[in-house]
Amino acid sequence: MARFREYASALLIVLAASLLCLVLRPHLATIDVAMALLLAVVLVASRYRRGPALVASALSIAVFDFVFVPPYYTFDVHDTAYFLTFIVMLAVALIMSGLTARIREDADASREREQRTAALYALDRKLADTATEEELLAIATRHIGRAVEGMALILPANRDEPERELPRWPASALFESPSVRVAAAWAFEHGEAAGWGTPRCAEAEALAVPLRAASGILGVVVIDPGNPDRELPETDRETVLALVDLTAASLERALLAEQSERARKEVEGEKLRTALLSSLSHDLRTPLGSIEGAASSLLQEDGVLPDDVRRELVEAILEESRRMTSLVTNLLDMIRVETGALVVNKEWQPLEESLGVALLRLDQRLSAHPVSTRLPSDLPLVPIDGLLIEQVFINLLENAARYTPPGTPISIVAWPEGGSVVVEVADRGPGIPAGREEEIFGRFYRSPAGQTDGGAGSGLGLTICRGIIAAHGGRIWGDSRPGGGAAFRFTLPLDGPPMQPLPADPAGILGAA
Amino acid sequence: MRRFLRASLRANGFQVVEAATAREGLAQAAGRNPEVILLDLGLPDGDGRDVAQELRRTTRAPIIVLSARGQEHEKVTVLDLGADDYLTKPFGMEELLARIRVALRHARLPVGGSSGEGYQAEQLRVDLSARVVQRDGSEIHLTPTEYKLLATLIRHAGRVITHRQLLQEVWGANFVEQTHYLRVYMAQLRHKLEKDPTRPRLLLTEPGIGYRLRETEP
Repeated sequence: MARFREYASALLIVLAASLLCLVLRPHLATIDVAMALLLAVVLVASRYRRGPALVASALSIAVFDFVFVPPYYTFDVHDTAYFLTFIVMLAVALIMSGLTARIREDADASREREQRTAALYALDRKLADTATEEELLAIATRHIGRAVEGMALILPANRDEPERELPRWPASALFESPSVRVAAAWAFEHGEAAGWGTPRCAEAEALAVPLRAASGILGVVVIDPGNPDRELPETDRETVLALVDLTAASLERALLAEQSERARKEVEGEKLRTALLSSLSHDLRTPLGSIEGAASSLLQEDGVLPDDVRRELVEAILEESRRMTSLVTNLLDMIRVETGALVVNKEWQPLEESLGVALLRLDQRLSAHPVSTRLPSDLPLVPIDGLLIEQVFINLLENAARYTPPGTPISIVAWPEGGSVVVEVADRGPGIPAGREEEIFGRFYRSPAGQTDGGAGSGLGLTICRGIIAAHGGRIWGDSRPGGGAAFRFTLPLDGPPMQPLPADPAGILGAA
Repeated sequence: MRRFLRASLRANGFQVVEAATAREGLAQAAGRNPEVILLDLGLPDGDGRDVAQELRRTTRAPIIVLSARGQEHEKVTVLDLGADDYLTKPFGMEELLARIRVALRHARLPVGGSSGEGYQAEQLRVDLSARVVQRDGSEIHLTPTEYKLLATLIRHAGRVITHRQLLQEVWGANFVEQTHYLRVYMAQLRHKLEKDPTRPRLLLTEPGIGYRLRETEP
């Protein structure tokens, strides 16, 4: 329809020009008419395609010859010089329309390139944001499918058995067609597109494009055009290939990142093992030595050792054993935290329970310090693993007891803030050495400021706390307090599985009036 | 472990029968009719739960399970299957003796009977027949659910009760998963009855497992 309109417009323009010239005939020389008609032709050629341009040209030549060239109203020409004019008009028409056609094509091509670049850019940006391989593939399939107005499916290569070649075919109707499977397999093996719209396996109902990256073929993208009878425009194919390449590059990047992470974990694990071995070696042998020494002394002939000495030796054995238990507990927790084997069973609990248990367990160790607690009675329940948070309290309180002079107060305070509960354990000891606020959470860091209980810490307490709090989605940090001492704070986010509301509990009056 | 247990228990006046494996243990339990059974969950030839279940079928003697730290889930299961109390290794002799004492006391009570009329420890005094709760001499008002919870704890005084058992006895079988109900009410009891709810002396929390009310004073 548009074509018809173009031709009609071409005719109209030329006719309009002719009529104008006819009307102004007495005032115009022949050359003016020629120019006017030429202008009409140029107008048509600049707006419409070659066809209408040629028609306009032919028509204007005919009109010019017939009406304006003597002998008038015949197609004869007296002056052969006019042939030149006719040729020029034709040539102009051809050149002009050729030019404009090229301009239009350039403009179209430019627009398509722009669209393709925009599509690539959009996909690239989305892919850069993805965190998992699944997300990556999902986004890529969406964009690729959109580019051809069809649906795309990505089949990653079988990574467990790289020699096994073919990815697993999904159980969908598309893959029941053997030609689709052949096209996909071919694309995967040879690293080139096959299927619908390509010269290879062209009868397949889908297009298969391999995901080619520097490290090899990572899989196959299978595109279902919906209607395999339609054509795949060249530009769309270019776009698809570009999108697939982009996807392949992103996928490769994701896989490499994963590999690199695994390697890093191994190295970390190795470092941890080395550190643990050296720690075990020293920190366990020392108390064991004391125990053995004390026990063997006790086995000496009766009467050699007075009773109070015997009692002292026995108490030493007990104390050293407890110390070893604590160390082993810490080491085991450490391993669990570092290797990611920490299982967090969150339940909505009142914080005071975990604190209460910790305070009870450390009753003796804390006996030299006045302990004050301030937990508002309307503090919300927190979703925590009670045992783990108990361990956090124990580690923090043990540190407080160990590194502060006897008699100095230790305080525990908690309050809600934002969407979390913040807990603070503070003391009035020497505080944290300036600039070491991060370092103290490192493995096996022991305070240079000597210990007031004569015992050795494992250096793991704070590291474990950090691991546990991180596993709860919170943060832990330490600062020196104004006025002396250290304050350790940690947050426990209040998000977790929803709680059912409590059943109604009428407040009955009990007991005799 | 058995060496020190044997020596200590004998020194405290108990007769001790030992078994190194589950099979041996079950046989001894059936044959010698012990008054208390100490069951280690780390037996080489049996799952603690199966042994506990089997024991429960043949004897009413209280079972105290011994287990390592970090095995809370297992301990809870065994307690729900019929064990009466537990100890976490390493433990001291005093703790063990205390648990055995409590277990024996409960075992010697008539079936279904509780500690009788009341409970008293430190600042708390409860008269179960009159349903009166007093703290430091003055009466404390408890809601029906709080009272029911306290009464349940008193019935088991000195022994651990799992979350599940408490929920079942106080709220009913449909509520055994609603641990936060229990925690909220326990918190309320602590606030009403304890001098310092963050350092409870009577309403003790057994982390990962349940609660324990301190033994009544003689």
